[in-house]
Amino acid sequence: MTENPARESRLLRGVHRTVTGLHPALESIVAAIVGLLIGAVLMYIWGFDPWKAYWALLRGAYGGSYEWASSLARATPLILTALTFSICVRAGMFNIGAEGQMMMGAMAAVCVALFAAPTVLHLIIGLVFAAVAGALWSVVPAILKVSRGVSEVISTIMFNWIGRWLALYLAIYVIVDRMRPEKTLTVPVTARFPILVRGTDLSASIFLAVGVALVMYFLLWHTTMGYEVRAAGLNPTAARYGGIRSKRTMIISFLLGGITAGLAGATIAMGLPPSYAIFGGGAFPELTNLGFDGMAVAMVGRNHPIGILVAALFFGGLNAGGRVMQFYGSNPVPLEMIRVVMGAIVLAMAIPELIRLFPAIKNQGERFFAVLRRRRETRSKEGKA
Amino acid sequence: MELEGADTGIPGGTKEFKEVALKRLLAVTLMLILGVSLLGMAAGKVAVVLDVGGRGDLSFNDMGFKGTDQAAKDFGLQMIEVQCATGADYLPNIRNVARTGDYDLIICVGFLLGDALAAASTEFPNQKFAIIDVDYITGPNIMNFVFRENEQSALVGALAGMSAAYHGYSAAGVVLGIEIPVLWHFEAGFRYGMDWGLKAFAKHEGKAPSVNLLYTYTGTFSDIALGKAASEAMLAQGAVGVYNVAGPLGVGDHEAVAEAHGNLGTLYGPPYFYGVDANQDFIGNGFHGIASGMKRVDTACYMAVEAVVKGQFKAGVTSLGLKEGGVAISKVGDLADFILFGISGGSVSADDFYTIIANWAQNRSTIPGWIWDAVDTLEAGILDGSIVVPTASTGDQIAAVRAQYTLGAP
Amino acid sequence: MNENAGPEARRDADSYFLRAEGITKIYSDGTVALKKATLEIHPHEIIGLLGENGAGKTTLTKILSGLLPPTRGRVVSPRGPVRFASPREALDFGIGMVHQHFALVGTFTATENVALSHEKPFSLIRLAKTRERLEALMEESGLRVPLDVPVEKLAVGEQQRVEILKVLFRDVRLLILDEPTSVLTPLEVDELFALLRKLKEKGTSVILITHKLKEVQSITDRIVVLRHGEMVGDVRTAEATTERLAQLMVGKTLEGEPTAFELSAEQLPRALSASRKKEFSGEGILHVIDLVARGNTREIAVNGVTFDVHGGEIFGIAGVEGNGQSELVECLTGLRVPVSGTATIRGTNILGKDPRQIYRLGVAHVPEDRWRLGLVLPFTLAENAILGVHRWEEFQGPFGILRRGKVNQHVRKLMDRFDIQATGPNAPAKSLSGGNQQKLIVGRELAKDPAIVVASQPTRGLDIGAAKYIRDLLIEMRDNGRAILLVSADLDEVLALADRLAIMYEGRFMTSCRPDTLNREQIGMLMGGVACKEVA
Repeated sequence: MTENPARESRLLRGVHRTVTGLHPALESIVAAIVGLLIGAVLMYIWGFDPWKAYWALLRGAYGGSYEWASSLARATPLILTALTFSICVRAGMFNIGAEGQMMMGAMAAVCVALFAAPTVLHLIIGLVFAAVAGALWSVVPAILKVSRGVSEVISTIMFNWIGRWLALYLAIYVIVDRMRPEKTLTVPVTARFPILVRGTDLSASIFLAVGVALVMYFLLWHTTMGYEVRAAGLNPTAARYGGIRSKRTMIISFLLGGITAGLAGATIAMGLPPSYAIFGGGAFPELTNLGFDGMAVAMVGRNHPIGILVAALFFGGLNAGGRVMQFYGSNPVPLEMIRVVMGAIVLAMAIPELIRLFPAIKNQGERFFAVLRRRRETRSKEGKA
Repeated sequence: MELEGADTGIPGGTKEFKEVALKRLLAVTLMLILGVSLLGMAAGKVAVVLDVGGRGDLSFNDMGFKGTDQAAKDFGLQMIEVQCATGADYLPNIRNVARTGDYDLIICVGFLLGDALAAASTEFPNQKFAIIDVDYITGPNIMNFVFRENEQSALVGALAGMSAAYHGYSAAGVVLGIEIPVLWHFEAGFRYGMDWGLKAFAKHEGKAPSVNLLYTYTGTFSDIALGKAASEAMLAQGAVGVYNVAGPLGVGDHEAVAEAHGNLGTLYGPPYFYGVDANQDFIGNGFHGIASGMKRVDTACYMAVEAVVKGQFKAGVTSLGLKEGGVAISKVGDLADFILFGISGGSVSADDFYTIIANWAQNRSTIPGWIWDAVDTLEAGILDGSIVVPTASTGDQIAAVRAQYTLGAP
Repeated sequence: MNENAGPEARRDADSYFLRAEGITKIYSDGTVALKKATLEIHPHEIIGLLGENGAGKTTLTKILSGLLPPTRGRVVSPRGPVRFASPREALDFGIGMVHQHFALVGTFTATENVALSHEKPFSLIRLAKTRERLEALMEESGLRVPLDVPVEKLAVGEQQRVEILKVLFRDVRLLILDEPTSVLTPLEVDELFALLRKLKEKGTSVILITHKLKEVQSITDRIVVLRHGEMVGDVRTAEATTERLAQLMVGKTLEGEPTAFELSAEQLPRALSASRKKEFSGEGILHVIDLVARGNTREIAVNGVTFDVHGGEIFGIAGVEGNGQSELVECLTGLRVPVSGTATIRGTNILGKDPRQIYRLGVAHVPEDRWRLGLVLPFTLAENAILGVHRWEEFQGPFGILRRGKVNQHVRKLMDRFDIQATGPNAPAKSLSGGNQQKLIVGRELAKDPAIVVASQPTRGLDIGAAKYIRDLLIEMRDNGRAILLVSADLDEVLALADRLAIMYEGRFMTSCRPDTLNREQIGMLMGGVACKEVA
């Protein structure tokens, strides 16, 4: 037992402290770098040039106004579904139901095709429809939890499936375009978000998403309602002591989450060119997974509305850049590989927040460090002996 | 002397060097011109954009890739594939490729890409496009390829009707996806073919069989379990087999057939599985797939590339039927092709090549030769134009076909 | 004195168990918690670690027990330097620590918690065997706890016993106890001290962190005093006087009352009775009649309690923790629904109402567990300062907008008025020391301008200064005509403050009288369940 192992242990402990005590923003950046490195190793192993691939990713994501617009367009619905998850996390619950709520919202938004209205009004009606549909789909699990103690994780997952099939039924049989039965009715021009950058997907729906994120920030940090929601999420017993009705905050957070998820569906139906309709054929290719991707965005954004804006831009860039990686120059990377790389990046970025959400994992990690250190110690002892 | 100098690479002097260089330049230029005139655009590029189904389906998307890939090889082109992770990727992906301006042709495989291509084709008027299964994009720079699925389905319908009658089954089943016009083509053709087959059977046997049509629009192209459930219901109602008209649902349809065989204790014979789009006869080691109504997406893609290379690009709608080789009922030759295709995709073991073909032949032998001959007769009639298979693209049309060929329905 | 001579005689130059050499600890935020602390720990020795909150007692023991690495300095055993990467390694070495805030899995039983703390990863947990050993250990040590109830349902005192058992389970050679007596009753303290003496006889070293001088003097062999991270004294208990220790600890004599509560607890009731009003003519504020309530394990915890609290008096409830005080307070503050009985505040029924409705009637509640109930730790000071009053018009503008400016103004006022030491209104509550956290809670509750203050263990775990401050506040409130219901396990505190006193035992009041009508022996017996008549 001399200085050497002591220094090693100090190093290890230093690493440990660094990992667990980083500033959230710095932490996210470190995690992103780790994820990119893992992705690079994976690509290298399978015979692709990581530098060229990442160059393509970067160019495709933020290389110019077209690329920025594409990334922002992709970020739009993710901002909203991420808010769904994060609001409920702030209230101490896991709302896994953004997917179903978003689909119901999309269907409701499509319903504006059933009647005519003046330009802006038509759009607003559609948004209200979507928000109400999302909220309705979200509030049922909340009521089940409040009144019968049903775990919101289970019920929201189940509601995802019910919502998906109900939405598919609506898309195929009810609000279907009789001439093109693979899709729903097309949202009329009067109810569409105008395209902001010609030749791209970026529509004014980005303003809605950013606006909602800012409103949610304001609600959570600058109103008594948000105060109650956060207090109940951080310490339910203290909240109860403080006269906060936790049932009420639960329902409120689920309602807010449902509204944002519903609006996410609306940004697709009313803001995604060229179809401005939802495809029942192919089982919602443009909606599927937006809700779940939103959870990843929320975790990377540390469940903070402003963090989510940044994270969604990053995710939008990953998606937009990933498209370009497929055919960039001499180093085309197949979509499957791109998704593996993205999975690695997302996972690396979500891990710090996952650790925070599940303290048990953190304890395991600490134990791992201790074991690692002990092994080194034993080894160095053996070496000395 | 000069040539010698050129060969050794040591020109005698500056003047000779210049001459040699000039001659070489000339030669290269000539060869280039020759090459370009021979192969059209020799160093060209084509892109194939696939929908969210993606590669690995051993059907629509894989065939689109295969046809384009084959054409690229044959004409010496560079080819890339672009897949879409979500529906939101369709338009951006087409735009991204078109923006480069490097591609002589962009092929979009599948009707889901229709709206996106309609938008992109006006944004990039100088870019040539082709799309499969869509007939409504009118731009001067786009070829629409559609298939006369009613023709292949008529052949499958005839086979199904006759085999049901022959084996004493009371019905034939069709499992369809979402009720879109393309699927009406299949239904109309199948109804006509089944009716034709039952009449042929009555003529041959001297008595009219009683065989009903069972069909279901499952409303999905992705829920395999639903396909299986629908197939099980049909088999329980006495269907001789199920015709898969819902792409991936065929896996579920086949599972139902395989389980029915397990319950019956049979290895092959009825009930049968009828494949679609690709040659799916090899599924189940060749024992279950009796025939497939093939829709040669690969042929369409090949034709699109060929048209561009040969300067025969023709905007508008190209309809591919039996005559053009766009649709077909599966034959032994295609089976070999598709088994090889399956082997390359990793879903079939190379060792099983001959086993599958032998099994398939054994399965086919459970249907007598005269029925196969009758199917050939129908095919010949369609080919020479003496038989016109009805089709349907609108609700009214399919209603009319359903009314004409009720096939047991009240 | 002979007590101390024994271990002294047995001690020789090399026989120390552990030595901390020149330990300096600087936290990542720059706080210097310890400056070159050196401490030698011998077998057969009980060391009292004395100091105010923030003096570095906890930091030093955390370093010894492997929770924190020292910035400089080292820990040495006779066999060479040692370092622990985790408490588990320290435990393997024979050092166990019982923290003030417990590390128990709430939903696990005592047996499971003990088993959990000693299993290696991926090993089988042998509950039956653990239980067997645990029962033997309980028999031997006299520490009794229910083994089959989830620990979250146990009273704090019982939870502490589980923590001690957890450590004793592993024949430790150095037992560190952080403020162990703050949650115990006199009887329990005696039991604990008997246990510690027994351990000492067996050769175990004990470090006792405390700020109760009386206890330190009664049990320890040596007293180490820390102040602001520095070791200011290392004296043999026999040679230390109360006054000397207090001086070492606080560095100055406290203003006002010449001695702090702890310094001469025996005299305190008399000393304070001067400020006590002989007659209280205040109106009856709280009336409780025949209240019955169940505890967390569905047992009857409050079994028919009747009392009134008037304006201008402090009604104290003393008793061994876990005799229904917590449940009683919870019923009165809307956190628990009772089985039967009535309770009114100025004539309005409060039973079954939620906390918000009860606060509206003018109730302030200083909860017993400030971490679980009183504060939302990750919230800022400002956010915590309005917990429960956040919907008051002062802080809530139109559309439910939080008036941040007003809130900050309010918290600054609280910080001034109640002497809360913090970097600012936006400092997270968890960054505050225990005393400041409690001042924040008390300040928040008193700022409600309540008719009645329900204060449960208001000074638990606080240093002398903070505790005195809070007690003075309660007296001030009383003098302003407010009613105060004080529930405390600290008998001295109740005796010193209460105008009337009730002693609670197994859900009932053993007696309800003026505190000066009882002597300490009588009180001790009442707390132990011996009825008043027999006392008389």
